Formats: sequence, structure tokens, C-alpha cells
Amino acid sequence: MWGSRRRRIVAGLTGCALLLAPLAWMWQASLVPRSYSVAEMGTPDLGGGAAHAHPDHRVAVPDLTEPGDGTPDVRVRLIARSDTIRLDSGQEMHGLTLNGTSPGPVIRAEVGQLVEVELFNESVTDGTTLHWHGVEVPNAMDGVAGVTQDAVPVGSTFTYRFRPPRAGTYWYHSHQVSHEQVPRGLIGALVVEPRGGLDSETTDLVALVHSYGGTRTVNGATGEIPVDATPGDRVRVRVINTGNGPISAWVSGTPFRLAAIDASDVHRPETVTDRHVQVTAGGRADLELVVPASGARVELSGPSLVLGPDSPAERRPEARLDPLTYGEPAPLGFDPERPDRRFDYAIGRRPAFVRGRPGLWWSINGHLYPDVPMFMVAEKDVVRVSITSRSDVHPMHLHGHRMVVLSRDGQPATGSPWWVDSLNVAPGETYEVAFVADNPGAWMFHCHHLGHAAEGLVAHLMYHGVAVPYRIGDGNVPE
Amino acid sequence: MRSAYRVLAYVIAAEVVVQAAALAWMFSGLGRWIQDGGVLDKATMEEEGGPLPFPELVGIIVHGINGQVLIPLLGVILLIVSFFARVPRGVVIAASLLGLIVLQVILGMTARGGVPISSMVHGANALLIFAVALLAANRARSEATEPRPSASADVGV
Ligand SMILES: [Cu+2]
Repeated sequence: MWGSRRRRIVAGLTGCALLLAPLAWMWQASLVPRSYSVAEMGTPDLGGGAAHAHPDHRVAVPDLTEPGDGTPDVRVRLIARSDTIRLDSGQEMHGLTLNGTSPGPVIRAEVGQLVEVELFNESVTDGTTLHWHGVEVPNAMDGVAGVTQDAVPVGSTFTYRFRPPRAGTYWYHSHQVSHEQVPRGLIGALVVEPRGGLDSETTDLVALVHSYGGTRTVNGATGEIPVDATPGDRVRVRVINTGNGPISAWVSGTPFRLAAIDASDVHRPETVTDRHVQVTAGGRADLELVVPASGARVELSGPSLVLGPDSPAERRPEARLDPLTYGEPAPLGFDPERPDRRFDYAIGRRPAFVRGRPGLWWSINGHLYPDVPMFMVAEKDVVRVSITSRSDVHPMHLHGHRMVVLSRDGQPATGSPWWVDSLNVAPGETYEVAFVADNPGAWMFHCHHLGHAAEGLVAHLMYHGVAVPYRIGDGNVPE
Repeated sequence: MRSAYRVLAYVIAAEVVVQAAALAWMFSGLGRWIQDGGVLDKATMEEEGGPLPFPELVGIIVHGINGQVLIPLLGVILLIVSFFARVPRGVVIAASLLGLIVLQVILGMTARGGVPISSMVHGANALLIFAVALLAANRARSEATEPRPSASADVGV
């Protein structure tokens, strides 16, 4: 009797051990220290390049600033506040504002002008930062908490200074607890105009699309938004998608051109009808049209801009404008066929523990956070990256650089150079992209679905010889 | 231990009911929200971090937490309990139930990744989990009323 009972208990306990031991081990292995530097996080990936290009030369992130202390051409003070946001639909929500509004003010500057933005945190309890999405700012101005600065606590100020090198449509947003602070309103548009300003013939409009608690807005307004334009006017609408997923934009009542993607002009864009444009999460699309006598509308999947006389809304055209074949080729300025480094960025998903929590987690090249790749580069490297999604849509965003799309699923890009800083990678798709490493620092290369980023879909581009004194954890939570 | 086995099996069966109800509730809320002018696309589906567009969306959150955390956990505990509960074929049934639950999580995951057939099987597999959970509970109950020769050795178990 005792023998059988003991055998049974031993068998039971062995069963438990077999079941629980691997789980316990996986749980333990997934824990991360309370705080850590991105420079010591993950596995360095040299991409087939040299290990140390400049072993003697070391520079720290805080020193990578805009040189000189000239008088700013554009000076803005932004006050971040925990606030109530009221929509014109009557909806109210507890959110975050900049200078009392969300989105914050549109900042306009010319290429090469010195922009100075003083961010004062009045009452955002988690602390906050501002990231200049798409702008090749010096690394210390990139606004990523725990990577390029410490989060700005309540009562403190941080001053951003940079000279935007390229004209185009950009936006700014918090990069501290961003998966909460961005949806709750810490966002705004940044338009960089060419030297000498915009051409006065074109009406220039910002259409920042943001959803507040499920209500999609354009520049904070809902529904049909009348715009001051008359028939015959040439209009450029700068669509900015601040959300976690792609949106569709199209034009009712007249043909249009896709003049720019992210902040890069499309070379010789054709005029199209019956096409919708996909605007990547975090990405931008500049639509250009001439208002016809009967009026036109820019449709933004819910809200719309009404240009000229009121005209009927049209359904979304089935066909999507494909930037891979749109426009005409132009020189890239570098040769992507002879890269110094090649990286893979393959995104999958599997059940596991991350930070001690069980769940379905994103993997990068088969590894889970924090064991993500650290893409090592040296200045002037030509870098190629193959980005694949095996599960879900991922808007991949590289800080501080712009990437050019070379191919999608093996089909080469034959249109205008397709420059992006936010690239929509759908499940099953593989994109080959290339860029020149011309902006030293520690740069995030992550999914701009900020929920995915918070779940560990983040990697970094690290330049050799760059020291990162900031730490993630201890109040810095970039995602 | 046998009654623990029985209760756990019933709880898993009840959880399947909760899962179905939560999803149905969410869909009716979604329908009303769309009628009121809400737009559902990828960007809306991926919204996080702000207030919910409609209150019934809680249904999908409940479905996710229940399905990905709570029910698998109950399945693991049931399997552990089965080692000690002396329910005839109790270990096999608990292990199969856990297998079906794992399959269910994978199906839910691939369905969400854009494979509609997975959703179909996910719905059918839910009924299978429900049935096996009830079978497990039933086994533990009928055994409790049947005297067994070794029952005297089970004092305290
Ligand atoms: Cu993602």
C-alpha cells in the first residue's frame, strides 16, 4: 500500500517538475535588470562589417548636439500638461496637451534654420520628452528617454536645438511611455519649408490625423472639415498618421498627385484617379490637387477636408497607389549594391516569457526582448536591411536616417526613389531597404505600433565609438 | 484532490461560456458604434493607450486575458492536480484538455494574424474544450461516489 502510494506521489511530483521546471527557467531567464544601457543590451550584429572602425575615437551621446550657439531663427516654448481634451463632437477625455491643445501647435521652419524648442513639463507625472519624427537631428536632440536623454520630470525644462536638413512633412511626439502619451495627445506637426519659404501659388495645409478614444480627427476636428480654398487653387495636403496602424487617404472629385512620402518628394509623380494612398503609422503623405469648380474632398477614412464648394464623398477606390512603381527613377546619391553591412530584421511572434510575463511576444531574428539585435555601424557605411514580418503589420521606423526601398518580395523598385522613415511591413512581406550611416549616435529602429514597441519590438542602430550614459529603467521608459 | 480536479474542470467549462459571451457582447457593441459613424480599419483596430471607443470593447480584452493567460493556467493546474487526484484516465484527459487549450491559443493567434479558417476552427475547438472539460468533471464526480478497494489508503488525499 505505502509503496504504491509513494510511487504515485513520486510520479506526480516528477510530472510537476517536468511541467514547471522549464517554465520556471524560462521565467527566470526573461527577467531584465531594473535599469540598463542600450549599449549593453542585446546582441551586437556587425552585419559582415568591421568590428572597430575608430577604436580610439569615443564620443558620448550628450556631446552629439547642434554645433555653435547662434540665435535661433525659430523659437517655440511648449508646455506639456495633464489636461482635459474636448472634441467638437462633445466627447471629453482625460489627455495630455501642449500649450493647452492637442495636437500641439504646428511648427514651421525653413531648411537649415536653427530651431529651438523649449519643452516645459508642467504636469505630466511620468515625465516626458519630444522626438522629432523623421528629422535627421543630432543624436542628443532625438528625444528618446533613456537613450538620448533623461525623461523631463514635472517642473523641469529641456531645450531642443537642431537645423532640419531637408524640407518636408514631419511630426513631433513624446518618446517617454509613448504607447500612452502619444494616443493621449502629446503630438504635433512640424513642417520644414524649402529655403526662402513655400511657393506662394500653393495653399499649404497640414492634416494631422489622430484618434482620441476611437474618434478620428484631423487637426483635432471631427467630421467634414471645410477648408478655405477656392476653385482653381493648387493645394498641398500634408497627411500625418499618428496612430498605430495604417490609414487610407484618397481624393473625391478630382485627380491628384502623391507629391511626397514621409519627408521626401516623389520624383515626377503621375496624376492619378481611382487610387487610394496608404499612410503608414507614423508616416506622412503629401497629396497635391487643383480644386475644381465643383469642389473636391480629401478623405481620411472617417473625417474629410472639404475644399471649395461642398461636393459628394466618394467611396475608397479599391486599388492602392504603389510607391514601388510610382514616379520616375532618380539618382540615390549612393550605391546600395555595394553595401558595407547587411542586416536582417525578421519579425515573428511566439509564446514565451518577457520581463517575467507570460504571453505571445514579438521576436526579432528568432530572439526575444531584451536579446534583440544591436545593429553596429560605422560612419559613412552603406547599410542594407532586409525587413520581414511573419506576423501582423509593423510600421518600421528608423530614427535619425531615411531609408530607400530597393525591393518588396523580390520585386525591384522601378519608380521614384521611395525614401521612408516609417515603412509599412504587412504579414508575409519582405522589404529590402538601404541607407547611409551619416548621423553618429545611438538610434532606435523599432516598430511604430507603439503597443508593439512596448511589447519589445525595438532594436537599435549603434555607431562604433559612441557611449550612452543614459539608462532605460529608473524613470526612463521610452516605449 | 479529486474534488479540486472536478471544480477546476467545471471552471474551465464555465470559462468557455464566458469567452463566447464576451465576444458576442463585443460584436453587438461594435455594430452599434459603426452605426453611429465609427470607422473600423487597421488603425482603429490597433488603437491603444486611450479611452475605449465603446464600452463593449472590454469584451475583447476579457477574451484575450482569459484565453491567453487564465484558461491555459487553469489547464496547467488541472494537469498538476490530475497527478494526485486518482481520477481514472484523469491525467490523459487533463493533458488532452491542455493540448486543446494550447491549440486554441495558437488558432486565436493565427486568426488575428489574418487567417480566417483559423477562426472557424477556433470556434469549433471551443465546443470541444467545453465538452472535454465537462467529461473531466463528470469522471471525477462519478468516481467519488464509487467505492474502490484502495480507497482506505486515500485518507487525507
Ligand atoms: Cu509592430
